[in-house]
Amino acid sequence: MKKLDKVLYSIAALVDLGEETASSEEFKKKMRTVLHVTMGTFLAHGGALFSFDKDRRTLSPIASRGFKGLRASKADPDSLAVFRNKPFKMDGADRPTGAFHAKLEKAGAELFMPLFARERLVGLIVLSGKFTGEPYTKEDFELLKVIASQIAITLQNHTLFISLTEKLDENKKLYEEMRVIYNDTIQAFAAAIDAKDVYTKNHSSRVAKYVVAIAKELGWNEMDTEGIYIAGLLHDVGKIVISDEILKKQTPFTPEEIVEIKRHPALSYNILSKIKFPWKDVVDTIRHHHERLDGKGYPDAITNSSLSDGAKILTLADSFDAMTQDRPYRKKLDLHVAIEELRRCLGTQFDNNIMDAFCHVLEKEIKGHLPEPDILPHLAQDFDPSVITTMLEAIREELSDGRAAHA
Amino acid sequence: MNTFNVESKIFGSVAILYPKGYLNNLAAEGLEKECDSCISKGIKNVVLNLNGIELINSIGISILLGVIEKVKGTDGTLCFTNLSKLHSETFDMLGLTKYMKVYASEEEALAHLQGALG
Repeated sequence: MKKLDKVLYSIAALVDLGEETASSEEFKKKMRTVLHVTMGTFLAHGGALFSFDKDRRTLSPIASRGFKGLRASKADPDSLAVFRNKPFKMDGADRPTGAFHAKLEKAGAELFMPLFARERLVGLIVLSGKFTGEPYTKEDFELLKVIASQIAITLQNHTLFISLTEKLDENKKLYEEMRVIYNDTIQAFAAAIDAKDVYTKNHSSRVAKYVVAIAKELGWNEMDTEGIYIAGLLHDVGKIVISDEILKKQTPFTPEEIVEIKRHPALSYNILSKIKFPWKDVVDTIRHHHERLDGKGYPDAITNSSLSDGAKILTLADSFDAMTQDRPYRKKLDLHVAIEELRRCLGTQFDNNIMDAFCHVLEKEIKGHLPEPDILPHLAQDFDPSVITTMLEAIREELSDGRAAHA
Repeated sequence: MNTFNVESKIFGSVAILYPKGYLNNLAAEGLEKECDSCISKGIKNVVLNLNGIELINSIGISILLGVIEKVKGTDGTLCFTNLSKLHSETFDMLGLTKYMKVYASEEEALAHLQGALG
């Protein structure tokens, strides 16, 4: 009867072990519980579980009770292979030798069992003698083998999980590095474009900032905003092909020269279409940054409904910067004149919604509502904030009335 | 959730511990911690009243062995009281009873401890 009860107790312990190894508890807690189950099953007053780190070739204690001074130790999986998933007595004739085992024996270890999963060393379980002073029996050994194989699988799963997590982190790092290189390359490109013409110095990087300000105001997501930033940086790359003589000319262009200059959006497109950008629409946005809503733009002379929001944003930002900076053939325009010019061309060249977003973000920047303004720091001219604010408010009201009337 | 908690009373040089709930998960290590805290106050003798313990599994046995070892380590005496029939059968089956001082009630355990001390 007593024997049967003991078998039932052992089975109950195996059930407990199964529940514990499958639980979602944090790993160390789980292993501590597993150690309790094992020690309670054999009435051991001391016990320890080690996990094996195959890179460092080290066994480290992850749970221990009743033993003092247990430390991580180097281990050789090959020399432990003969003891694979078999309990061994520390004082047996066939016991392993070495400093680590001497230390374990000194700590009070009596049983020792390397844990292998799929032929690989994953850990070690060590038990003291029984609390009752009785020796371990054959049945105990058989039960311990079953328990150990479960623990080995748990350790193996944990190791796999950790190495997957590490790989994932490594990939993330690599990806971040690639992104940095990618961005640096694009920045270098943009600098090359701007360097071509002293009069358009920093034009690309300013336009990139303006388009981002507008996109954010329109509530674009991070990925799309990054895409239009890149489009802003690279939109004039085609100018690299156009001769300096034309770009730096101070007298009016001849009709032939105008034709030549108007090639640049399509040239930019041709150069960049070889690149597989991770953002959608970058090259199309660039191709269409001189199109107009009324179809009188270039290179494709398409109209409002065929133009993406991105192209409309880039067109407005590009024109705004062109007007507010000095050009070889004219001085820069005052801010209020430039804004008035944008307003005048609404519906023919520029889109109402984009203009509304642009006015709103500029208004917020002037009022100091944005901690990191994108437009204001680049304007390089004095203006009366109250005059501009009134003007922007009036335009926005007009646009809002227009929308209401339209609805 | 298996809940576990433990309270204690101190009578002179003896602490009486009242664990409550299930001795079957890591929370039961609270019993060892309570025992440690009594020992750190200089108490050597401990009475463990198991009246509030509903279930003991292998984890609980491991923790009880830990408590026994702790008290043994201070040259003190650990007495068990208020064991249910199931507790007694479990300890018997595991062969632990002969290493435990078991009493029916706290009073008997205290009388033994005072006799031994006196």
